[in-house]
Amino acid sequence: MKVLEVENLSTHYQLGGETVYAVDNVSFNIDAGETFGLAGESGCGKTTVAKSIMRILPDNGLIATGKIRLDGQEVVGLSEKEAKKFRWRKASMIFQYAMSAFNPVLRVGDQIAEVLKEKERYTKDVAYEKVKKLFEEVGLEPSRIRDYPHEFSGGMRQRAIIAQALACNPRLIIADEPVTALDVIIQGKILDLLKKLKEKYDLAVLLITHDLSVIAEESDRVGIMYAGGLMEVGDAISVFKESLHPYTAKLIGAFPSVVGKKTRLEFIPGAPPDLISPPKGCKFHERCPFAKSICRANRPGQRELNKGHFVSCHFAGELDLPR
Amino acid sequence: MTTEKVLRVRGLRKWFPVRKRFLALIFGGEQKYVKAVDGIDFDVYAGEILCLVGESGCGKTTTARTVLRLIEPTEGSVRYHREEITTLDREELRKIRTRMQIIFQNPFEVLDPRMSVKSLVGEPLEVNNLVSNERELEERVLEALKEVRLTPPEDFARRFTHELSGGQLQRVAIARSLILRSDFMVADEPVSMLDASIRTEIINLMTELQHLHRLTYLYITHDIAQARYIGNRIIVMYLGKIVEKGPIEDVIQEPLHPYTKALISNVPVPDPTAKRKRILLKGETPTPIDLPRGCRFRPRCSQASEKCKRQEPKLREVKTGHWVACHEA
Repeated sequence: MKVLEVENLSTHYQLGGETVYAVDNVSFNIDAGETFGLAGESGCGKTTVAKSIMRILPDNGLIATGKIRLDGQEVVGLSEKEAKKFRWRKASMIFQYAMSAFNPVLRVGDQIAEVLKEKERYTKDVAYEKVKKLFEEVGLEPSRIRDYPHEFSGGMRQRAIIAQALACNPRLIIADEPVTALDVIIQGKILDLLKKLKEKYDLAVLLITHDLSVIAEESDRVGIMYAGGLMEVGDAISVFKESLHPYTAKLIGAFPSVVGKKTRLEFIPGAPPDLISPPKGCKFHERCPFAKSICRANRPGQRELNKGHFVSCHFAGELDLPR
Repeated sequence: MTTEKVLRVRGLRKWFPVRKRFLALIFGGEQKYVKAVDGIDFDVYAGEILCLVGESGCGKTTTARTVLRLIEPTEGSVRYHREEITTLDREELRKIRTRMQIIFQNPFEVLDPRMSVKSLVGEPLEVNNLVSNERELEERVLEALKEVRLTPPEDFARRFTHELSGGQLQRVAIARSLILRSDFMVADEPVSMLDASIRTEIINLMTELQHLHRLTYLYITHDIAQARYIGNRIIVMYLGKIVEKGPIEDVIQEPLHPYTKALISNVPVPDPTAKRKRILLKGETPTPIDLPRGCRFRPRCSQASEKCKRQEPKLREVKTGHWVACHEA
């Protein structure tokens, strides 16, 4: 069952009289019980996709075109009042900075209970009982609901944030760089926890990170973004093992690994384009070693080259990409 | 690799005093310390990149700063070539620092936004009175910019930091340390802020410079996979102590210490078909204030024995150049 369907989403920001084309014609969907990994370098628009889905774009941000269906409900045209209703209850979001997610002068348990009282109209006692259960669920001592955020370690705080995200039984959890600031051993534990909860509650998870290693290990399907566009979408093994887009192949090659033979790391000369005036044709053509004149003239559309494996490249399938 | 040592560290300790609580101030009470670095020995050989890895709070950055005396060591000896660093006075230290440099994690914080790239890169020469005229300064700056591939150098020399990307800024920081023709560099997480593809560029640049100028690096990183691609040897730290050291491939392929094993097993790899099992460790790394007797990893270790409770394990050489501090390894 599809929990999230994003169709031709374009999101723009107004910046000093100019338009930043942050997300450009992005389509993907996520099933219940599935983790979709959205990867790309800084500034590629992955967080803007998340904010568009949650309807928490800043004031200068606007969904220009496209549809977002969440659990069957269209999200794009909703008023702020209606959007408030689905946040937490249908979709919730986990952010990178566990440090700043909680108000430092309020107890962690109180802050989670607040969500339940507001959203589910729970009485105080019922809310606190639920918070204790949530704490247990994410591996925290229920007695610690009276602690303040500073009394938690980074890993514990990230667990508390997950507890809060789960509070109203959402169908979709968006995790935006959920482990980036954590040490690897805690990182592993948090990722295991997310996976366990996803399976238990049949959640759809949108995992956003720049770290392709985390994406590779945690995702069922993967989308690779570049300069606001989705370059490639498919199941994780196809995208990593049979990459179709030159950008995907190069980016994967840039990640070091502790297993296997040590090969030369790849790099992509140049820098991503300015999204105020994105280049004509394929957005990657300026950095692509395979670019031909058609790449400079026409923007490639998304094609399904193998079943379920989509790519936006004129020459996909014909190129000798690094493996 | 040669056996010529650029840096020789023995018995290095850095303890930070913990501020006493109010009652302890009145009634007395024991002064406690954060034992950030608690007695470590290592050498850095000429022309090598030695990686120092570990999780936050393991003491890797404190080690890096103490060997440069950016912070004063509590105890121990640090020798740079033949010179004992720990006893130098200010003037001597200033002189020797022209030959030892540090590259920090965040170039945005290090480089003054009001200075042009030319003044930023030329500053070390001017401060140390190493150039006699403007022309010489300019030549040296352009040469350094060329070496870090900021070309055309004349163009980059005129720019300011806000006109550069993160990767370019880190190149400026490297040019700044190259310009003094120092032979030893400490790099503290120099690419952690950068995107993957730019990381590779900077790592490649640093290894090229290593070979070209026979530079020696002490490279600090939390990322053991990254260390594998840049380092020759590796040191793994846990709570202020070295738990394992050796040639990088040996340590990564056959880790001996249970902590190193856990650390490596938890590093994600960019391959969805690599079915790996994460070794889970009990609890989280404690603050190095009240450390347990015996082995400090024992409370989290699944192989701990009676001996580990009583006796702190010393580093011993298990295979050529591969050392481990564990009774059971």
